[in-house]
Parts: sequence; structure tokens; C-alpha cells
Amino acid sequence: MVAALTLDRISKRYGGFQAVSDLSFEVEKGTICGFLGPNGAGKTSTLRMILGLQSATSGQIEILGADDGRKVRDRIGFLPEERGLYKKMTPVDAIAFFGGLKGVPASEGRKRAREMLTQMGLGDAQKKKMKELSKGMAQKVQLIASVVHRPEFVILDEPFSGLDPMNQQGLEAMIRALAADGATVLFSTHVMQHAERLCDKVVLLARGKKAFEGTVDQARATSPRFLELEGALDVAAVAALPGVSGVEVLNIHDGACTLRAGLTPGAGGQEALKSAFLSGLDVRRFQIKEPTLHDAFIALTGDHPDEDQSIARDALKAEAAR
Amino acid sequence: MNRTLLIAHREFMAYARTVGFWLSLLAFPLFGALGGAIPIMMKHAEPARTVALVQAAPAGSGLAEAVRQSLENEQARGDISALRMAAIPEAGVAGGDRVRQVAETEGYQAGIAALKREAPRAGASFKAPRPNLTLVAPPAELVSAAPGEAQDAMARRYLGDDALEGEKLSAVVFLTDANGQPGARVWTARATDDAVEDAIRDALKDANRRQVFAAGGIDPAVVEQTDRFRPDMAVFSPKARSGGEVSFRDKLPTVVGLAVGFILWSLIITGASILLNSVMEEKSNKILEVLLSSASATEILTGKVLGVALLTLTVLFAWGGLGGIGLIAAAPDVARDIGSVLMSNGLLIYFLLFMVGGYLMYAVLFAAIGAFCETPRDAQTLMGPIMMVLVAPLLVMQMAIRTPDATVVKVMSLIPPFTPFVMAARAPSGPPLIEIVGALIGMFLFAALMVWVAGRAFRAGALSDVKLNWKSFIGAVRGGG
Repeated sequence: MVAALTLDRISKRYGGFQAVSDLSFEVEKGTICGFLGPNGAGKTSTLRMILGLQSATSGQIEILGADDGRKVRDRIGFLPEERGLYKKMTPVDAIAFFGGLKGVPASEGRKRAREMLTQMGLGDAQKKKMKELSKGMAQKVQLIASVVHRPEFVILDEPFSGLDPMNQQGLEAMIRALAADGATVLFSTHVMQHAERLCDKVVLLARGKKAFEGTVDQARATSPRFLELEGALDVAAVAALPGVSGVEVLNIHDGACTLRAGLTPGAGGQEALKSAFLSGLDVRRFQIKEPTLHDAFIALTGDHPDEDQSIARDALKAEAAR
Repeated sequence: MNRTLLIAHREFMAYARTVGFWLSLLAFPLFGALGGAIPIMMKHAEPARTVALVQAAPAGSGLAEAVRQSLENEQARGDISALRMAAIPEAGVAGGDRVRQVAETEGYQAGIAALKREAPRAGASFKAPRPNLTLVAPPAELVSAAPGEAQDAMARRYLGDDALEGEKLSAVVFLTDANGQPGARVWTARATDDAVEDAIRDALKDANRRQVFAAGGIDPAVVEQTDRFRPDMAVFSPKARSGGEVSFRDKLPTVVGLAVGFILWSLIITGASILLNSVMEEKSNKILEVLLSSASATEILTGKVLGVALLTLTVLFAWGGLGGIGLIAAAPDVARDIGSVLMSNGLLIYFLLFMVGGYLMYAVLFAAIGAFCETPRDAQTLMGPIMMVLVAPLLVMQMAIRTPDATVVKVMSLIPPFTPFVMAARAPSGPPLIEIVGALIGMFLFAALMVWVAGRAFRAGALSDVKLNWKSFIGAVRGGG
């Protein structure tokens, strides 16, 4: 497949602080790629470099055949992490304005705005001012504003943050629709479930470095399976079962507990279960679970995807700036 | 429409669509007109006060007559002054002075004839100002009442709300002349109304002066003639347009220069402040990053600067147009003189260039500062010192009227950040062309530097969360994002 985006050993340094290190990956045309990592991992810096908003300290970026995102900005749609639109504008005006900046004539921009707002269930809000809309509605308007010019490449920075589950579902559908129409989508998130459902490919980033690049299945395969056991169980006895690498207590209730036993690579779990029954452990319920992307992230990076690395990294960045 | 124009259009419309913009656009001329009209309307609406003069002991001193004469003289002076003022818009200051001279020497009616000659339109519609005070004969019972409490009680009756219609007085003045010192006890219907008190005080001073002069053997006619004397003076200068006598027209350019300097200062600072607030709003609403993904920092900055410039020009043309129409209607000669000043020696072109350069310098700087700030408090660190520096040209501009060649004025006019204001005030006095051209070149070079500096700072600031201070600002300029 042809690459719509190629990053070749990209690094970004703010003073003495290394935000992104030697990052390389590709996104093929017409695919959905998840750019995953905890807050502060370097995702936004990377996206800004792809867009040409910030220059890379070293390395090469090629997007839609150009060596600078600014040269093809009319073919790119961008939804930033921190969102906002002109509060006194109506959604139609705001969408038409941003479409105009991308070369869509005003009348066409307004027409598309009305159609897309109706499709997104915001037909009644067309004439309201942005400040009168709920956060979820405003976020939809901004998303429409970022794709009204029908871009070939869509970059979404944490698009799901701040949305309720219903709107998150709607956004997932919209991302799928964009890809189905031939657009390439790169979105960053620290919530792995979205990526699991949507992505053809994921790139995992931790502390500015790439930890993994591949499909979701390939990512999951890097993490062992789990055996979930429920009953009046002794943690040490479970830990001693064959093929078990470690045990985590998920909850304890009325003398019974739920344990999550990590399996060693290659272990299927059947041997551990057989041993548990033979040794008379009080197993009332059991389940062999495939690893999630979340598990894979922890296994690959040693970090937790929900932890906020931005605080420590911002402090380092500020220190570097000084 | 390209991106720059689209951003300029949005910027313009964002303000032009607000009710506040139109209110402020109309408020200035409206309040200006009201400011001029209200005192006149109040003067016309003010009822003439009926005043009774009562000569207290010693009778026959003639004080009442002297005061009456003095009040009438004052009224006549007011009428003559009104004739002069009515003539000035149409016939200029010299014409007004001629009318006054005729009225003073040949009488009021001759003054009206002179007004009709000098300023036919004003003469046709001239109405003499209404007198403040109307002297009426005091009621007999008031005059015959015993001095002291009885007379005071009687005065209360004529001033009170219960007085009969047609008998009610605004004030009763008991004149005293004890030991040759004119004095008065003034009873007024309203305790806060000091118009009668002031008029009587002036009249008594005048009466006393006449008495003193008369006691010294000086003929009252001589006193009156002396009062009326106005020295016939003329000022000459080799730089006057006539090559000799200095006229109002010769002084007008410096007045116009100062006015333009102040107007430029207000417009530029207002425009730049609008831009600062607009960028701050976009920064706080997280719009700048979206804009930067759709247009270059230069396009955004240029578009915003252009949009606010159009807004500022709209205000300038609206106010200038209304002011011009008002001036042409009220004082066509003055309007013509101002027009000829602006058109002479390329002044209008200089003023326009000073406006463009000045606006460019400050607008881009303020926009760059705004890109780092989400609240006015954030901007305070940099804006405080800048505004303090900006007060300096206001002080120096006033010096430019009397001493346009003073060293401090010259130097300030050549310092690029001050050039738009100080050179605008200085230019009408005819400084060497090389200084004006040099100042313009310096200003535009500095403006170009500011555009470059602000462009880098704007781009860095728009994506930065760094707290604004001089160090971070300079760092952003050096780093350029």
C-alpha cells in the first residue's frame, strides 16, 4: 500500500528537554491509525510537527507527498486537543469560515455545513450561537469544521475526550465513514478501547519514544493471556500454579475473591486450571481472557496508558526552557 | 477569497455586527452634539429672573441706579459678544472683531447691520440672547416696609410659593451703602441659585469703581471709554502666508497637526488594543491552533491587522465625515481653511503614512503579546511598560505647537515608535523635508522589523502555554517557535 504519511527518525527537543526521540512510522492511505500513549507522551508535539506547526529538531516527515504539512494544509483536516470555536458565530458560519480557509467557496461551505450538521443530529442547532451549544454539540461542530473541505488526511488529537458514551459512538461512526470515503485518519488517544475498535494500525508512544507499531492483533500478541478465577482462593496457591507468572487481586467479597493470574508467554491456561482443580482449590468460576490493547501497552512500555506523564514532562520542559 | 482576506472579513464582521460597535460609533458624535447643544438649550430654557432692587438707607445715594446701569451695561456686552460669535463661523475672527467694534462704537443696531454685511446668513437668523435678569419695580409695600425684619418678612412673601401670580419675584436685592461701601442683602426664591448673587456682586464692584473714580474727580464718561478700549494690535512674522501679518490661518496648521497627532494616537492605540483583545480571545478559546493549521502565522496576523484596520478606518471616516459635515454647516470658512491646511505641502499624505506605519508597528506588537495571553491580566506584564512609554509623545506633542524646533521635539519625532504622533504634530510647522522623509523611512523600517519580530512571537505564542514575561517573549522571538 502507498504511505500517506511517513515519519523518519523524528526528534523534537525543547531546550534541554527531549519531547520526541527518533520516532519513525508510516500510515497507509485510506487506513485508520491510532497514535496511542499517555498524556504527555509526545503525541501532540508529533502531530504538530506533522502539520508543520512546529519544526522537528531532526528527521524527515512526508505527508501526502510533501515534505512539510503546511504545503498540503488544504488537503489535511485537523481537530486539535484543546478545542474552541468563535462563541458568537453560528455553527453554519463557523464551519463555512474554516472551510473557506481550506479553499471551499462560502456558499458551498454553508451548504455542506447544513447537510453535515443535519447528518450529525444538529439540524436544530444551525442558527444558534456556539456559546449556546452543549460541549458535545460544539465538539461535533468542530469536527465537522475540520473535515468540511473533504480532506485526504484527517488528524484528530484526542477526539474522544470530553464526549459522553453516546457521542463517542457517533464519533467512532464518523471516523469509520471518513475512512470508508477514502480518507486516511490518524488519531491520538490515551483510551485504548477506541483504538481497539477502530484502528487498522496502532503506534504506541511512551516518554517520547515509539514502543510499538503494527495491527491491534499484533499488539495484543505481545502480551500474555490471563486466567481469571473466582472463589475462596489463596493468592499464594494460585501463584504456584503451573504457567502462572503473577497474580492480581481484582476484588474480595463475602470471603470470595476474584483473582487475575497472568500467564507466561506460550501458556494456554488449561494446565493451570487442571492443576487448580486437582489440588482442590475452591474455584467457583473461571475464564481464560485474551489480552487487551491496554494490557499490551503495559507489557510493551511498562507504563500505564491512563497515567499522566504530562505533569512531569511539562516540569522538565519548563526547566529546559529556563 | 484568499485566507488573509477571509480572516480580515471575519475580524471586521465580528465587531461590525455587534450592537456595541454601532452604539460607540454613534455615541461620540451624538455626545459631541449634545455636549454643544445642551448648554445652549439650557440657556434658552432657563426662565428670566425677575429681580427687584430696593435702595436701603441712605436714600438718594443713587446706588440702585448705578447697579441698574451696570447690569444693563453687562447685558449690552453680552449682546455684542453674541454678535461677534455669530459672525466668526462665516466671516472669520477678523470679521467678528469688526462687528464687535462697530457695535461698541456705534451701538447695538449698527452692530446688527455690520453683522448682516459681514455674515449675511448669520445676520438673517441672529437673535439677541435672552437676558438673565429682568429688573422690575419693587412693590410699594416692600419699599415702605421698615428696614430689618419687616422688610425681610415682606421679601419672603414675594419670593414664596404662595405669592400671587404676576407678583412673584425671583429675587429681592436690598442695596446698602453704609460708609460709602456698596453692599447688598440678596433674597432669592431658590437657595441654590447664585445667578442673581453673581450679577449683583459684579454690578456692585463696578458701581464702587465708578464711585471711587468719581470721588477722585474722574469723569464717568472717561471711565466708560477706558473700559471699552481695546488695543489695536497686529502680529507679524516673515513666515506668515502673507509674508507679514499673522492671521488665524497661519496658526491653524499647528492646531491641525496637534489634533491629528492626538487622533492618530487614539486611533492607533484603540485599534491595537482591539487586536490584542481579539487575539487573546482566540487564544483563550483555543481557536488559534485551528487557525494555524489552516493558514500561516503571517496570513493570520496580516488578516487580523487588516480587519481591525478596516474597522478603525470605518470609525475614522464615520467620525471624520460627521465632524466635517457639522463643521461645514456651522463654520464653512474654518472648514475650508482646515481643508486647505490638510491639502497643503503634502500634509494629508504624511498623515496617512504616519497612520499606516504607526498602526502597523503597534498592531502587530499588541497581536503578538495577545498570542501569549488568555486574560488581560496576563498581558499586563508587557502592556504596562509599553503604555507608560506611549504617554511620552502625548506630552511632547503639546510642545510642538509653540516650539516645533525644540531639540526634544525634534529627537522624539525621529524615534520610530514616536514618529507617527510627534512628527504628525510637527509636520505642519514646516520642518526640513529631509527630517520628514528620514522619519518616515525610519518608521517603516522599524515597522518592518516589528512585523518580523511579532510574526515570530505570534507563531510561538499561539502554541505556547508559557507564562508571558519579557524573557519568554524575547525567547520566542529568538526561537521563532
